[in-house]
Amino acid sequence: MSVEKKDDEMVGYRQQPGKLPFSKPGSGGKNQFSKPTDASIIPESQGGSKKQPWGPHPHDELVSGQAIGKPTAMVDSRWKVTGQAHYGDDVRLAGELIGRIVRSPHHYARVLSIDVTKALELPGVIAVATGADAANKFGVLPVTKDEHAMAVEKVRHAGDLVACVAAETEATAREAERLIEVEYEILDSIHDMRDGLEDSQTPIHDRGKYHIGESNIQKRVFQEFGDVAGMSQAAVASHKQNWLFAGVNHAATEPHAVVAHWDPSGRLTLYTPQQVPHYLHRALADVLEIPMHQINVHRTFVGGGFGGKSDPFPHEMCAAILARKAGRPVRICLDREEVYWINRGRHPSRIEMNLHADSEGRICGIETDALIDGGAFASFGHVTTYYNGVLHTAPYEIGAFHYTGARVWTNKPASGAMRGHGAVNSRCAVEVGMDDLAEQLAVDPITLRLANLLPPHSATITGFRVTSIGMRECLERVRAASGWDDKFRKMPLGKGIGIGCGFFISGSALPIHWDPNKFPHATVHLKIDMDGGVTVHTGAAEIGQGSDTVIAQSVAEVLGLPLDMIRIKSRDTDTSPVDLGSYSSRVTFMNANAAISAAMGIRDELLDATVEITGAERNKLVIGDRRIFAKNDPAVGVSYLEALHKAQEDRGALVSSGAYRTPPMGRTHKGAAAGLAPAYSFSAYVAEVSVDIETGQTKVDKVWAAHDCGKALNPLAVKGQIIGSCHMGMGQVLSEEMRYLRSGHLMNPDLLDYKIPSVHEMPEVIPIIVESNDLEGPFGAKEAGEGPLLPILPAVCNAVYDAIGVRTSELPITPDRMYRMIENRCRAEKVSDPLDLASPRLEHSALQDTLDARSNAHTERDIERRLDDEREPYHNGALFGLDPTIPPDEVDPRWAVTVLPSDEYLTTPRLAGSAWKHTERRHRGDA
Amino acid sequence: MLPAAGEVPWRAVVNGTEKELAIESNAILLDVLRDKAGCLGAKRGCDMGTCGCCSVLIDGQPRLSCLTLAAEADGRDITTVEGLADGHHLHPIQQTFADYGGSQCGFCSPGFLVVISALLEENPTPSDPEIKSAIEGNLCRCTGYQQIVDSVRAASQILTSGGSIEDSTAPKSDPHPGFSEEGAS
Repeated sequence: MSVEKKDDEMVGYRQQPGKLPFSKPGSGGKNQFSKPTDASIIPESQGGSKKQPWGPHPHDELVSGQAIGKPTAMVDSRWKVTGQAHYGDDVRLAGELIGRIVRSPHHYARVLSIDVTKALELPGVIAVATGADAANKFGVLPVTKDEHAMAVEKVRHAGDLVACVAAETEATAREAERLIEVEYEILDSIHDMRDGLEDSQTPIHDRGKYHIGESNIQKRVFQEFGDVAGMSQAAVASHKQNWLFAGVNHAATEPHAVVAHWDPSGRLTLYTPQQVPHYLHRALADVLEIPMHQINVHRTFVGGGFGGKSDPFPHEMCAAILARKAGRPVRICLDREEVYWINRGRHPSRIEMNLHADSEGRICGIETDALIDGGAFASFGHVTTYYNGVLHTAPYEIGAFHYTGARVWTNKPASGAMRGHGAVNSRCAVEVGMDDLAEQLAVDPITLRLANLLPPHSATITGFRVTSIGMRECLERVRAASGWDDKFRKMPLGKGIGIGCGFFISGSALPIHWDPNKFPHATVHLKIDMDGGVTVHTGAAEIGQGSDTVIAQSVAEVLGLPLDMIRIKSRDTDTSPVDLGSYSSRVTFMNANAAISAAMGIRDELLDATVEITGAERNKLVIGDRRIFAKNDPAVGVSYLEALHKAQEDRGALVSSGAYRTPPMGRTHKGAAAGLAPAYSFSAYVAEVSVDIETGQTKVDKVWAAHDCGKALNPLAVKGQIIGSCHMGMGQVLSEEMRYLRSGHLMNPDLLDYKIPSVHEMPEVIPIIVESNDLEGPFGAKEAGEGPLLPILPAVCNAVYDAIGVRTSELPITPDRMYRMIENRCRAEKVSDPLDLASPRLEHSALQDTLDARSNAHTERDIERRLDDEREPYHNGALFGLDPTIPPDEVDPRWAVTVLPSDEYLTTPRLAGSAWKHTERRHRGDA
Repeated sequence: MLPAAGEVPWRAVVNGTEKELAIESNAILLDVLRDKAGCLGAKRGCDMGTCGCCSVLIDGQPRLSCLTLAAEADGRDITTVEGLADGHHLHPIQQTFADYGGSQCGFCSPGFLVVISALLEENPTPSDPEIKSAIEGNLCRCTGYQQIVDSVRAASQILTSGGSIEDSTAPKSDPHPGFSEEGAS
């Protein structure tokens, strides 16, 4: 379109179509005309035609149709595809030294002496450091700091850090590593998590008066909610399974790496691929004994996180210490083997799962006992111990919940947070239990789930405030898409189909560092100068999940700008406002909310300026594509730049700050805050598998994956997260396992023997996005990064049962394990040829109709609740005849909340429950 | 990295430019590319030939540079991810990787991209099984491969339809757009 710029063609504030009044400094881009607003993107509540089956949303009036909901390439993807993205080991500073770490060859030993003389004498070695250089402890959780930069007294697992060295070249550093002589006194190590429950002569850590007996128990939890005594009386069907889950590792393709540089003014800049720069920032200050403001943590591109880069790490401390000593920058890049030594992967777990259903097909009780193997350090384990229980109190309405959990220290690489933190294993156990209950009750497992769902805007038995729930839609859509009703219990031997569900937090409501001040969880700053480009400062850690993109989209949407006008600065703690980091699926929810709030500040100023220029009524103004105009007469309006320049008069660049903090919620019992989140995601997957009966090889053929992410701000990224979650979960259920020899040695610290699925193992995944429009989420959004991993494990396990009639209790289901299970079934049924085994079949019982009827009634109940602004409270327990508006424990003494075991329980505790046999030293009277 | 064994001269064409370097005689190609030739796009993921992050093209053929002695590549033509784009015009597979979600964290992308560029060079219209077999030596932990395969299909489309890739330095959006008739909605 040709453009004629004639000043005289502007009539008052009415702009003539197709005529630019005059060029402005900063003009000259393409797309000289504003795109017409697409009514199909504008919500019905704003006069558009976009349907809102879940009702209006507070952010509806901010919808400009620019960015939200459109499949969007990551804003940093061009760096990645050109090799210009610099990850940890790609930071190269002039004069850099190469650091290497000396690691313990022993599982558990006292360090008697370290002789670094020979290493220091080696030409090219510039600095050596040991535990004596950094006495202070650190850890990601302030209540469980139990790590040192390097061994101070003891090494606690093979691969634990003992010393480190910086040299001119890597070859010299490796040589120096060998020259450091360490004298150890070997201690008795423990490797079986069950041993951690017992008293020990030399507990791996000493927590002083808070130590639990003389054991290696790091954390224990006891919780009872609901009618625990009544559940077994009411039960007509009960499921019990003792599970053993192998530990798994994030196996991010980028090994950890770090560069430390003390600049001439004495400040430290630490370049590192970190998911939680802020926690590292704090830990560095503790360990280096300098104030936080003397440190700049620079997050490089992160080559995969998944929780594996979300602790402050000892090698990061080492780099800083070495660089300080050497007076030169130090770069440390871990070998793949070292990545497994620092681990923080999913806990090896022993979980006893009990589920009970009553005669009406209600889930009258869940009893879980989870013993988790923490390895040598606490890491996030305090939280993991809770999550193994509390995160399966939804989406089902339950009559009772009993949970005993314990996390023990063992002499293995530390477990920690991994995608689906703490929820994955026990969720798998619950969902397989649901399948078994359905089998026992002779009902369809999807119907059983549909008839037991909590409604939207309800409270779980543990008191979590659940807002939007798209669980029902997820189940219905995978049922339809997969052709479930024609396949379930009807496929030939060796072919099977299974269902699994998930429930996950969308941002932890409790920040790790709980200050008495009401600090926000996320803060975003905007700066807009004359050029009109928007600089966004955020500390949200882009780890490949697309956080930079989603924040840019949110700002672009509110300000009505194309994405290319937004630039994200999220790397340095010097310039970014504090953000807690990329964990607990909090980034989209909290940072996009903060970004929206910051953008609203600018939006207000632009609207004010427009009123000033045009005289239009403010409440009639809307923002479209780079233009602010009157809704009723779009010719009355100004370009974005005109409004901006008006707003900048006498003050220059516009700046604004927005923040997000979770509202107060939850209950008050001990541990009530663990698992609290401002919103929760829901998902349901159907997996179809083939089991080769003769070899035991299981192959996932296809997955229908429905996930309720509230609103897909970037559907491309949401689908990527769903498919990627399937990949990771499929690895855990079929092939991934950190395998330890009986001696305690990790057998497979490499990517050849630690088997993540290749392209050939990946099934076709059909991602199905369900949008439940969460009222507190940014534009309705909830998380999509971790929750989508949960359902794939049980869906595969249940599909395996449908295929071959065996229920696994041990993951991964490797061919040898599968072969043994098939053999066992043959032996039990006295069948000589496994090909003669019968496939499970289903004849519906009378209960099926009851459940169908209840599910239908609940569908209406749920739609009413989600659309009703005046809805009454709904507490878990209503399905069992209690008043939904009052927490049941306040009216029914049988539903009292208990967080300490009774003496009676302690006479016959379950495995993890036996952690309560010990008394904390401070309560023993001898401490 | 092996102990120093004495430097030898080394010459190769790296991304179209003749390089003359002095390298350790036992140096690994990946180290030479990253530390001496300035090609940080080639990544070290596992250092044992499992993950494919270090893939480069030697005379157009995909090779694992972490398992290749630099000496083996002496006098050859080496392409890393940095050599795929034509100035500011991305290679079609780079463009579609960005557009179709082929990259998430992006660490494995350089390896995938050089392998796929070699595939498309040889076969501009690969079938799904051909795509999968080409990338079977590359591990990706983020995407589950599906969007990578989507990207290859889309790149194949661009190549066969003669579609063009925009110069990335072309002007971006005008912050001062005019009002057009269609804008009046």
